[in-house]
Amino acid sequence: MLTPAMAPASAVSAPVRTASWRQTDPRTSIVLLLATSIAVMAPGGELVLPAAVLLGLLLAVADSSWRRLLVLAAAVGVLATLAHLLPLWVAHPLVQVVGVAAAFMLRFAAIIGVAQHLLATATPGTVTTALRAARVPRVVTVPLAVMLRFIPVVVAETLAVVDAMRLHGLTGWRAMVRHPILSIERFTVPVIAATLRVGDDLTAAALLRGLGSHTRPTSRTPAQLGWPDLLWVVVAATLSVLSGTVVGGAR
Amino acid sequence: MISMADVSWTYAASAAPSLVGIDLDIVPGEVVGLCGASGSGKSSLLRLMNGLVPHFHEGTLSGTVTVAGLDVASTPLEQLGRRTGTVLQHPRRQFFTSTVVDEVSFALENFGIEPADIQDRAVQTMRQVGVLHLAEAPLAALSGGQQQRVAIAAALAHQPQLLLLDEPSSNLSHDVLASLRQVLERLAGDGVTIVVSEHRLHYLAGLLDRVIVLGSGHVGDEWSGAEFAGLPDNALVSRGLRGTPPPPRRLEPVAAIGASVEQGRPPTPAEVVTGLHLRGVRCRLRGRTVLSVEEALLPRGAVTAVRGPNGAGKTTLARVVIGLQRHTGTISLDGEVLSRLQRQRLSAIVMQDVQRQLFTDSVRAEMELAARGRSEQMGREDQTLPAQLAAFDLSELVEQHPLALSGGQQQRLVVAATQYSGARVVVFDEPSSGVDRRHLRSITAAIRRCATPETVVLLISHDEDLLHLAADRQLDLVAHPPDKE
Repeated sequence: MLTPAMAPASAVSAPVRTASWRQTDPRTSIVLLLATSIAVMAPGGELVLPAAVLLGLLLAVADSSWRRLLVLAAAVGVLATLAHLLPLWVAHPLVQVVGVAAAFMLRFAAIIGVAQHLLATATPGTVTTALRAARVPRVVTVPLAVMLRFIPVVVAETLAVVDAMRLHGLTGWRAMVRHPILSIERFTVPVIAATLRVGDDLTAAALLRGLGSHTRPTSRTPAQLGWPDLLWVVVAATLSVLSGTVVGGAR
Repeated sequence: MISMADVSWTYAASAAPSLVGIDLDIVPGEVVGLCGASGSGKSSLLRLMNGLVPHFHEGTLSGTVTVAGLDVASTPLEQLGRRTGTVLQHPRRQFFTSTVVDEVSFALENFGIEPADIQDRAVQTMRQVGVLHLAEAPLAALSGGQQQRVAIAAALAHQPQLLLLDEPSSNLSHDVLASLRQVLERLAGDGVTIVVSEHRLHYLAGLLDRVIVLGSGHVGDEWSGAEFAGLPDNALVSRGLRGTPPPPRRLEPVAAIGASVEQGRPPTPAEVVTGLHLRGVRCRLRGRTVLSVEEALLPRGAVTAVRGPNGAGKTTLARVVIGLQRHTGTISLDGEVLSRLQRQRLSAIVMQDVQRQLFTDSVRAEMELAARGRSEQMGREDQTLPAQLAAFDLSELVEQHPLALSGGQQQRLVVAATQYSGARVVVFDEPSSGVDRRHLRSITAAIRRCATPETVVLLISHDEDLLHLAADRQLDLVAHPPDKE
């Protein structure tokens, strides 16, 4: 709980964003995510895969999210080992199958690494503001803002349902293996019921306060692109070129 | 300000109307309290005033409703939203942004106010409601009372003529209710028309101009604020209304010491084998200590009220006790130290939102699932299940899907299943949030039934009515435990 101490109006920060190399405009985060997804999933995506992974790691450092950094590094390490090293050591058909699956998942891990930066730094407000500034139509901005706001709701309700399942002894591996369909049903039904209820309140409150109204919305903190955005675009481009050169040259 | 003539409303999913033949006029600047039993139509009437009925909720509307000169049925929701401010029962569920100033600015931005004016009006509103010092604070870090005030500020920033509040006092502690009243008093002084839907109206005594009682969708009694204040308790009982709560009852405190606990005494060696014994229990969340209990004994066979201001760590304590929250220190039951996993197996909780804990496709299956795995339950299910269902007025619903039940029926089912599970540790987390007097009694009876000689029962509640009726002992938690360390 925060302590109540009266503060003057000047305590509210002026609506100006302070530039820092760590901060990217949500538009930049979205562009980085889209570019990474397209590049990594396109044919020849393995050429830029190291760049995508490195970008995700650097963004985790920028967000000071050390746990994310470790998890991403570990996941990439394990998947890369399964995909590229294990088939060299063990010549077994099963290992080949696992290797192919791991190589595919490795691409997703790289994309998730970049996506996590967007989820960690963008709020519904900043995304809406940034997209409005880019003159993106309301039919895109409103659902995107609602989706971003709804993700934490789903997470919170899911955690609460898992807690309730634990107390009922429904989270054990044995139950999941013996009755997989029933286990999924017992998890999903209460999660959906609870999130729909919260979602109703959220939507009603947002509509009453003008979300999606026909008036052209304004913003207290106008969005602006700055040198940090340019920096991250240059970093991403440089990594891609280096990665393409090194991986392509090694072939 | 508000005018309703012969208004009836039926939700699309319902066969019976929620509001029938409502005739109502509310003048500008009036402060009106709406009360009535659960399901009497209070929330529907508020939705009619802000336009969610019929624009958001589907159904059939007849009659005419005018708010601030606009015909509700034919005016877009956005236009109605400009003239009304709404505060829902759970403020956290209506927040759309991440900080207080962003939330207060949200409506202003959507309504296209000039950026320079947004800043001024947001500051003005935050000052008016007393949350200016929290302007840059993340919403998730606020206490329940602070969130309530931010929700009011967010509803007022666009300067609506009408403020609607749905059960604002539920989940608020006694001291926070006083500050909520101050805020509403200030707004009433500024000429804002206020309509409050409440079960507990005592904290608004002297502020209300009028009290309207709804019953089964009809407007029943209407009293002036002074008349309402003078009503005898039996007049309120006969209408299922809550009266002035008893003064906070000082129950016998449990033996407890620690930075999070109001000054007490440690349990004696004889006591530690008579219930749940906490020793050196500390819990840190997001880098800060939120609970620190040196020693405490939560006795078997009694209902222990966990009290304290919003943010004191009551829910954290409950989660620690039932094994859902990591912590340091040990917890033993009757002298036997239990791991978190063991406590999970021995515990049950009735959550505020019971929909999170309904897993099966029928009332019977829900009860059977609750008893599954409890060895002491085996062999008695067939004999006791009908009686258990009857005790909670669920016999007729035994084959119904739990999600098809009403909110009150769902809550009774979860309480019934909790008791049937034979759990040794049971937690009730704000079970009377938003319930009327009649249901308060049935919840009280259920809590008392759970307190068998073998069971430790914890009751987290700000509701003095419920605590007065249901609790035997109390554990007082204090705010800001880290400051004491």
